[in-house]
Amino acid sequence: MIDRVTALTVQRSTLANLQNNLTSMARLQAQMSSGKKLQRPSDDPAVAGEAMHLRATGRRLSQYTRNAADGDSWLATVDSALIASLATMRRVRELVITSGDAGLGPASREALAVEVTELHGDLLSQANSRYQGRTVFAGTSDAGVAFDAAYTWTGSPGAGVERRIGATTSVRVDTDGSAVFGEGAGSVFALLDDLVAGLGANQDVNDRLDQIDARMEALLSAAASNGSRQRVLQSVGTALSTQALTVKTQLQAAEDIDLAEVIMDLQLQEVAYKGALGAGARVLQPSLLDFLR
Amino acid sequence: MGTFGGISTALSSLIAQRTALDVHGQNIANANTRGYTRQRAELGAITTVQVPSMFATSDGVGAGVRVTGVARADDAFLDAKLRTQTAGAAYLTARAEVYATLESSLGEPSETGLASALSTFWADWHDVANNPHVSSTRAVLLDDARQLADSLHQLHADVATQWRQARTTAITLVDQANATAANVAELNGRILGVTVAGGAAHELADQRDLLVTQLSDLVGVTVQPREDGQLDLFVGGNALVFGSTARVLTVAGAADFGQAAGYDATPAYGVHLEWADRPGQRVPMAAGEVTGLLTALAAPEPDGTGGILTEAAMRLDAVATSLVERVNAIHYTALTTGGTTNQNFFVPLAAGSAAAQIGVAISAPQDVAVAAAGLGANDGSIGQLIADLGLASDGPDDEWNRTVVETANRTAAALSRSTVAELARTSAEQDQLAQASVDTDEETVAMLAAQRAYEAAARVMTAIDEMLDVLINRTGIVGR
Repeated sequence: MIDRVTALTVQRSTLANLQNNLTSMARLQAQMSSGKKLQRPSDDPAVAGEAMHLRATGRRLSQYTRNAADGDSWLATVDSALIASLATMRRVRELVITSGDAGLGPASREALAVEVTELHGDLLSQANSRYQGRTVFAGTSDAGVAFDAAYTWTGSPGAGVERRIGATTSVRVDTDGSAVFGEGAGSVFALLDDLVAGLGANQDVNDRLDQIDARMEALLSAAASNGSRQRVLQSVGTALSTQALTVKTQLQAAEDIDLAEVIMDLQLQEVAYKGALGAGARVLQPSLLDFLR
Repeated sequence: MGTFGGISTALSSLIAQRTALDVHGQNIANANTRGYTRQRAELGAITTVQVPSMFATSDGVGAGVRVTGVARADDAFLDAKLRTQTAGAAYLTARAEVYATLESSLGEPSETGLASALSTFWADWHDVANNPHVSSTRAVLLDDARQLADSLHQLHADVATQWRQARTTAITLVDQANATAANVAELNGRILGVTVAGGAAHELADQRDLLVTQLSDLVGVTVQPREDGQLDLFVGGNALVFGSTARVLTVAGAADFGQAAGYDATPAYGVHLEWADRPGQRVPMAAGEVTGLLTALAAPEPDGTGGILTEAAMRLDAVATSLVERVNAIHYTALTTGGTTNQNFFVPLAAGSAAAQIGVAISAPQDVAVAAAGLGANDGSIGQLIADLGLASDGPDDEWNRTVVETANRTAAALSRSTVAELARTSAEQDQLAQASVDTDEETVAMLAAQRAYEAAARVMTAIDEMLDVLINRTGIVGR
């Protein structure tokens, strides 16, 4: 139908258009002042869902990064303990070889025994190394020491301390002390005790070299495995921080406004609003009565 | 025609034009009156009695003009269109408003919403699993778990409050509809009185049309006009207004959220309308603001087409249930550092809303269990499993994300539908106004026309007077 136009309908439509313009202005203004594209999820449900997902991912990545950093400290503690233990064992080996010298008297062997006793203490304290109050060679134990006075390993077979560094990836950060140092009578500590006893009795203890070598072998392989895990953890840490940055960028792209674009839109909208005001003023004012005398 | 017939013809015109001017005056006076429909004086020429016969004396000139009636420039189709569109738009707008409020009470996406509380909760489990021997991490976990439970309580309380407010609003609106219906019935009676007396009750009809449009907005009435000028209004097929009697609608059904959501009643039942004189009989509603609110207040349906608010509460309950059951199932198997096992982390769910009752069962930090049996006191492997729930494909996080996105989707759809309906309503209103409203320019022109016609009729009278003057005063004085 062809609309009849009256002063009232013109007023109404002018007002409605002004309202529309002002609503657009207000929306842009809200975007400008909040810095966010979305004022509410229904503005763009897909982006809102994406933003929630990205935010949760970001939180998870930062937790993984923390886990990785914590794991790295564990591995570093294990590493330094193993390196120190290896040095101790090398010194023990040297002393054992020295004990084979036929010219040595009981006093000299006694002196060797004293040093081995010292080294035994060192080794035990290395094996009982702790990180944040926990023994790194018996990670899940709460005994305070990995090896007690009877050289009993306090850890649980099959247990390990793991750090989650990805949705499905974990890295073991402690080391099985029983595999490295042995347990009870078969442990490296008992071996050193035997050496001390042998040297005290003025014996040649070179027949023990094989056992010492086997222990050093175990220490070396533990150190190698520990080192490789440390490398994994460090590279994962770098990857995690890159991922975190990507997620942050994506979140910003999804949620934040493009300032230049919004300013431009606001400017355009302002022009449109002023135009609507001007047009309204022109169309509402004149009346036939102005022209009749 | 007699000698003085012309004078009475001119007189009829003077009277008719003055009446027309009066009607234009009424139009201009009501140019800004809401609901006023412009009127026109309908003029009709008076014909002489012309019966064809041998000695017919008529000369065929008419006997002047008369006002045959005052017409109201309404258009029943435009009025009906406006009412239909108003009812439809009011229904959709009410729903959109409910959705918008619900959406804002969910408070997502943000740094402070439930999603963030869940993320914090899982991160705390990571920390406890990493350092089971540190009691401060457990204390933090317990605090954050309580906060998470509080978030769920708050969300559920918000939804329940919104439901109660919507019900109060529905009651107020139904009261308003009843009062309006009573007014329409009264106006029907008065209009009938005026029309049977032969008068025109245009101003009363204007008032009644306004009220009927208001009723459409509230409860979506259908209108049936009667021959005698009365309007009958129907809701759900039954008369709300029948002639000069009005019936009364009441809000019935669930009185509290618990009944609508099914916590206190099985099966759940929503809110509906009944006729006051027919209790127990549900009024089927199709449109209007009240109908929109009723759909928000309805009971949940398995296919997601039930009440907006009750279904939102169900979704919250699903999040809470998933959280409680999944965490408890794993925590139950874990050992504390003291070796205690078979303990629930959250209080096991009883009947009713899971989101409203979720609570942390553990109060002492040392009772948080993360160790697996036989793996040492400081083992954290079970805690790690709980932390991994944050990633579970149908875990609480996932459930919550889906709730938020679905609510956002539905809100967006409801908002755009209501915007479209509102546009249609505006255009229907514009059409109706274009037909009914007063244009001052038009009235000015009509006034000019009436004024000129009046002047000309007066001139006709003067001309006849002068003509008669010649006849009366100048005849028979030839040569004087």
